[in-house]
Amino acid sequence: MSDAANTKLQALGTQMVKEVQKGEGPTFETVLRTKSNTIFDEGMGCLRTGEKKEVRKFLSVAQARTFMQTVAIAAKSRQFLKENLHTSIRGLFYQLKFTLGEDIDEDLFTEQSESNALIEDLEVALKIKREDLNLTTDRKGFVAGPMTILDKFGGEDTLIDLSKQGRSGWSIPSDVDNGMEIKQLDADYVLVVEKDALWQRLNEDKFWKKENCLLVTPKGQSTRGTRRLLRKLADRKLPIYCLMDCDAWGWYIYWTIKTGSMNLAYLGKDFAVPESKFLGVTMSDIKEFEFLDKLTIKAKDVDVKRAEEMLGYPWINRYPDWVRELKMVLKTKKKIEQDALQGQRLTFVGEYINKKINNKEWLS
Amino acid sequence: MPDDDVFKQFKEHSIAEFFKKNRQMLGFTGKVRSMTIIVHEIVTNSLDACEEAGVLPDIFVQVDELDKEKEHYRLTIKDNGPGIPRSHLGKALGQMLAGTKFHRYLQQRGQQGIGAAACTMFSYLTTGQPTKAVSVYKGKKLTASIGIDFKQNKPVVEVIEEVDASEGESGLTFISEFKDVRYERSNYGVYEYLRRTALANPHCAITLIEPEGRSTAFPRSVIVNPSKPTEIKPHPLGIGTHDLLEFARQNREKRRLSSFLQETFSRVSAGKIDELRALLPNVDLNKNPQDLSWEEAEALVKAFSQVKWIAPATDSLVPIGKDQVEVSFRNIFNPEVLVVTERSPKVYRGGIPFMVEVGIAYGGGVAEAGKKGEVMRFANRVPLLFDSGGCAITETIKTMDWKRYDVKDFEEEPIAVLVNLISVHVPYTSAGKQAVSPEEDVMDEIKFAIMEASRGVQKYLSGKRKAHEIATKKKVVSRYIQQLSGDLSSLTGEKKADIEKALTKIVEEKYAREDMEVEETAETGPETGNGKPDADNEGEE
Repeated sequence: MSDAANTKLQALGTQMVKEVQKGEGPTFETVLRTKSNTIFDEGMGCLRTGEKKEVRKFLSVAQARTFMQTVAIAAKSRQFLKENLHTSIRGLFYQLKFTLGEDIDEDLFTEQSESNALIEDLEVALKIKREDLNLTTDRKGFVAGPMTILDKFGGEDTLIDLSKQGRSGWSIPSDVDNGMEIKQLDADYVLVVEKDALWQRLNEDKFWKKENCLLVTPKGQSTRGTRRLLRKLADRKLPIYCLMDCDAWGWYIYWTIKTGSMNLAYLGKDFAVPESKFLGVTMSDIKEFEFLDKLTIKAKDVDVKRAEEMLGYPWINRYPDWVRELKMVLKTKKKIEQDALQGQRLTFVGEYINKKINNKEWLS
Repeated sequence: MPDDDVFKQFKEHSIAEFFKKNRQMLGFTGKVRSMTIIVHEIVTNSLDACEEAGVLPDIFVQVDELDKEKEHYRLTIKDNGPGIPRSHLGKALGQMLAGTKFHRYLQQRGQQGIGAAACTMFSYLTTGQPTKAVSVYKGKKLTASIGIDFKQNKPVVEVIEEVDASEGESGLTFISEFKDVRYERSNYGVYEYLRRTALANPHCAITLIEPEGRSTAFPRSVIVNPSKPTEIKPHPLGIGTHDLLEFARQNREKRRLSSFLQETFSRVSAGKIDELRALLPNVDLNKNPQDLSWEEAEALVKAFSQVKWIAPATDSLVPIGKDQVEVSFRNIFNPEVLVVTERSPKVYRGGIPFMVEVGIAYGGGVAEAGKKGEVMRFANRVPLLFDSGGCAITETIKTMDWKRYDVKDFEEEPIAVLVNLISVHVPYTSAGKQAVSPEEDVMDEIKFAIMEASRGVQKYLSGKRKAHEIATKKKVVSRYIQQLSGDLSSLTGEKKADIEKALTKIVEEKYAREDMEVEETAETGPETGNGKPDADNEGEE
């Protein structure tokens, strides 16, 4: 249980009750989470929200419902904290999906999308993470390698050796901060591969054992837990290398790890890993490795569109290498999946990674 | 003179043939319309007769279907007027162009005096039957049949019976059969015509019995007859060449054209005669008016337009009146909103006084009756049901930007607009007298009047909308108080009841304030239309 979060929730309630006692309509101040209020912080190397504030009023017809809903989430979260129980944001939604009263034909919440957005509002306003509110997110990422973790959970302390997780690896929980401790860490670097299939391939090769690294897959876009774990590993001075599909989506997954996403810009530096490096796959690889040229597939409209968007982001187009890569996608309308690296020999991937790391052939 | 026999032969044909060929000019086109026009002609005469005699009109109309297949009907129309003396009965009901209205310069319902006789003729031509009339005049009850001698354009009156009338009885009953007509309860039918007649004539009571026996009473809403319009002299600017010649020929008293002009027309002074003389060196103003030629009359009319005249007197016009329209509207529609204008008379073509009355009813009974975007046109209180396409009134309403007045879609909203155009000379588009021609001055005044009434409706509608919005707002916010209070209590440990009470008070106070603001603006709402002669500052479109 996060005492800080509990105090902040209580303070929020007290501020509102004071307003009511003064005969004023209660207000809720939060930071504007719009694109125009999202800025790239060069010093931190990540996206963060700007200073623009927004004051919501219960007496405003347009805001009354969301206002009430926000306070309902705050009250419910505080209850979870008190009881030391966790739930998912979906669980929270169901906890709050009830009718407002017999004579009112309206539910407190009708769609989970309503509560999701308001949870983010609370995180921004109170400067806390949803994990601090005992709210979990779905797990997706896996990790294997020379690291031992102490998991204090359900009243028990469990020591977990990530080198002894067999074929499946350790599933990264949604909260790696509360009740979670890195006990031992012997790895030289962290390798993040986009897809689970490649992760399994490298795990079978005992790649992490041979290279003494941590092998991570976010299985596509990274969850908050995965990004938080990468941040903590980077804090321990481990280099973070990423291997993604050679298409706009793969690259975007990399950039989310590196600078954070616009949607969660308010999480800022705690979730961004500006130190991470991009090993591949790059458009240049297609020229270097002849066999890859035959394995390209046609880029889809979404790939092209995403590439165009990324070219417009100042935190990306400041790197000439990336501009060149993105422009090549737009020109050739081709893409290549990381799985194609197995096209020649199944074990080629390992050689490819080693070559890239040893020769420092990466993009920032 | 040509050969008399030939001339008579020619004339005999001409009346009947003229009528047959030109009955559309008199409004007899289409079966439903013909039926309505007949009722219109007879009822109009009845109303005029009653008003002249100072009697509150009681009109009874019965339509009997004699043969459905042959579209054969009998029409019975009875009034409580003074009746018609035996000596005049034939002329009144059987001779074309023999009415009392021709060449009288005053506001009146009919203008050509073609009415009743045309109906008698129409009946005779379609059924071969004479029209029956029962006239109770000064204690005598006369029953007669009236045919038409086409050879001489003369009525043929056969007295069937003449007896003493019962005490206090008087009036005229017109009983006539028709073919080539049809009864229909549509927007162009007799029912609608009488409904609108009742609306514009709140001093009259009308009863209608339809072919299937259904009886409808349109009751009287006010118990005084409208004041009688005064006859005025025409203004030189309202006169055409033909009119001028007609006046000159009828003149018996004056021997000199100059004194005839001064006597016959208003605003013609000795000074103006001098001006005319200067403008017309070739016209002898001392000649006998009887000898006035077409060319000279034409030159005179042209000269009239070059002289600066004092505007005509406008006090001769008699509107329905704001109060009467309101009472009448409430009686017939019982609308939620009602705005009636009361505007001062204006002049068109520089010489013809006219006046426009507009009433707009919205919601309530209008919605219940299923009426949407209803336009009710009247000229001198007579409903205009036909030829709406070419009518200046319809045109003006159609081209109005109704959205500006919070009427989103005129055709789809429960709104009824009454426009009554009053004038000594209504500018009709044709002899059918069913549409007002787009005279610029008239159209402008109609527009301003409708705009004035619309503003009143708008004020009400926007006030109502705002009040509704506030009520909704309050409801929206209030429904969340419970939940919010509970959660705030859970976050802070304060008592839920205390928070709830304070929050409720805050919400109540906020929306009570907004409510008051609305009421203040709404008070000046539907009470507008106190007709200031301010056409000058209304040119806002």
